[in-house]
Amino acid sequence: MAHAGTLTISNLSKQYEVKGEVLPVLKDITLTINPGEFVSIVGSSGCGKSTLLRLLIGLEEDYQGEILLDGGRIVGTSLERGIVFQEHRLFPWLSVEKNIGLGLLNAKVPEEEKRRSIQEHIELVGLSGFETAYPYQLSGGMAQRVAIARALVNRPEILLLDEPFGALDALTRAHLQQELHRIWQQESITMILVTHDVEEAIYLGDKVVVMEPRPGRVRRIVPVALAHPRDRAAYEFVRIKEDVMREFIGQPAEEVIEPPLRAHDAPSDRLPSTFRFAV
Amino acid sequence: MIGSAAQFTSNRRAEREAEPAPLALKRQRKQAAVTHESVRNFVLAWPFPLAVLAFWYVAASRGWVAAQVLPSPETVASTFADLFRSGELLANLKISLWRVLGGFAAGALCGLCLGVSMGLSSTFKDYVYPLFKAFAQIPVLGWLPLMMMLVGIDEALKIILISKAALVPIAVNTYKGIQNVPAGYVEVARVFRFTRLQLLQKVIFPAAFPPIWNGIRYGFTHAWLALVVVELLASSEGLGFMIVFGRQLFQLDVVMAAVVMVGIVGFSLDKILALTERRLLGWRRHGF
Repeated sequence: MAHAGTLTISNLSKQYEVKGEVLPVLKDITLTINPGEFVSIVGSSGCGKSTLLRLLIGLEEDYQGEILLDGGRIVGTSLERGIVFQEHRLFPWLSVEKNIGLGLLNAKVPEEEKRRSIQEHIELVGLSGFETAYPYQLSGGMAQRVAIARALVNRPEILLLDEPFGALDALTRAHLQQELHRIWQQESITMILVTHDVEEAIYLGDKVVVMEPRPGRVRRIVPVALAHPRDRAAYEFVRIKEDVMREFIGQPAEEVIEPPLRAHDAPSDRLPSTFRFAV
Repeated sequence: MIGSAAQFTSNRRAEREAEPAPLALKRQRKQAAVTHESVRNFVLAWPFPLAVLAFWYVAASRGWVAAQVLPSPETVASTFADLFRSGELLANLKISLWRVLGGFAAGALCGLCLGVSMGLSSTFKDYVYPLFKAFAQIPVLGWLPLMMMLVGIDEALKIILISKAALVPIAVNTYKGIQNVPAGYVEVARVFRFTRLQLLQKVIFPAAFPPIWNGIRYGFTHAWLALVVVELLASSEGLGFMIVFGRQLFQLDVVMAAVVMVGIVGFSLDKILALTERRLLGWRRHGF
């Protein structure tokens, strides 16, 4: 299934008003996400990465700048965009298949097709046999798989993932990252992953958007031109990871020579150098 | 290689996660645990009431309390049997049950409407809640004199006071239950573009159902308590009346028989509600 879905974010800014004071959350974000691309967004907490995702899904409104999906401005939520939250947010009173079925409640397809689609997506996330289980009977990883199936069952053009594996143990997380990668390839849809795990961002992303806080801005965009499946211990992988980490934590570079990847990235050049280490 | 070891472990984990067998096993084990627990609960429920009964028996037979004041368990049992056989007990029970069910039904309906309205509309809540709180603070007995003047001492009085007793906990719990529906669930509904009706049907009511159900149970207990109070003060029939009448005639065995009946019926009705709850709320996992 080929999906369209070019997401263009230009000069996006967003602020909250707290006790009469304006608090900028996002400032001047410009980013293009191509159809079928996997984009990871990393940043420390408070850099507005979750807010960015909430704007993309349409749960937050009231912003300056533009968010365009295939040229049309995003207004409110839409079945074209799915999301997986950090907490699985399954409804505890519904079984696995009914929870997934919620995604199709307002889809205009016949009942028969809905049933088949639900079954397909249960298989897609590897949960066959658990159709009638209730959320309390599932482990954290399994619940998150159900949440992924629920988000995908509508066949959205874009899947947003808000730190989906943040609350899982390291082994489950590594396994689900593999699974997510497989699903991304199989469904060939656009995915945008927000995370604070740099390794996860590089393992999955075609490019890694590094954000910095107060107000949230794009600091650098690091392309990851490694073949899949990626080996986390490979030299290239580690080098990119170190490169990102330096930006992420704001520590001074060990090498005096600028890494070659820096040439690709425009936004960071606009930052005053004193800012770079101030995080 | 650390990488391949991790891979191996994660594959193992995948097998474990994907296998349906453990769930069935878990269910089986859970069922066994449930039966074991219910037997244990059943056994543990008996010693205390039996001890009280034994103490009562000893107190009556040793004459620690005068027999006119505290009739022996045998006397109460035979009086109970007599009243049961003569039909007096059942006739009064029937009247009391009608009152409590009627009052409870009216109170539950109003309480649910009020609670749902307050939960869904904060404007309505702002108008109504302070007065409602004040209204809720006044006990049934406080309303009695005023209500007697307004509606007399007929059935209407009983129904109104019983329904008031049921209304308060149901309205409060419904309101709080709806208010405490996690925002995350509502966001899921927005993401899937639920209509307002779908939001209510699929999210708000199921999520708020456990506290609402608690309110219903509390409401029922309160209705039952209010019934006895109302009948004690203003009635010529019903179980409460039997208690007052027995006391006036110094027939404490009749009083006790009626008390036992009130206890049994109240307990059974609550048990029915508890069983219904277990059927309806099987998806909940209890903290302990």
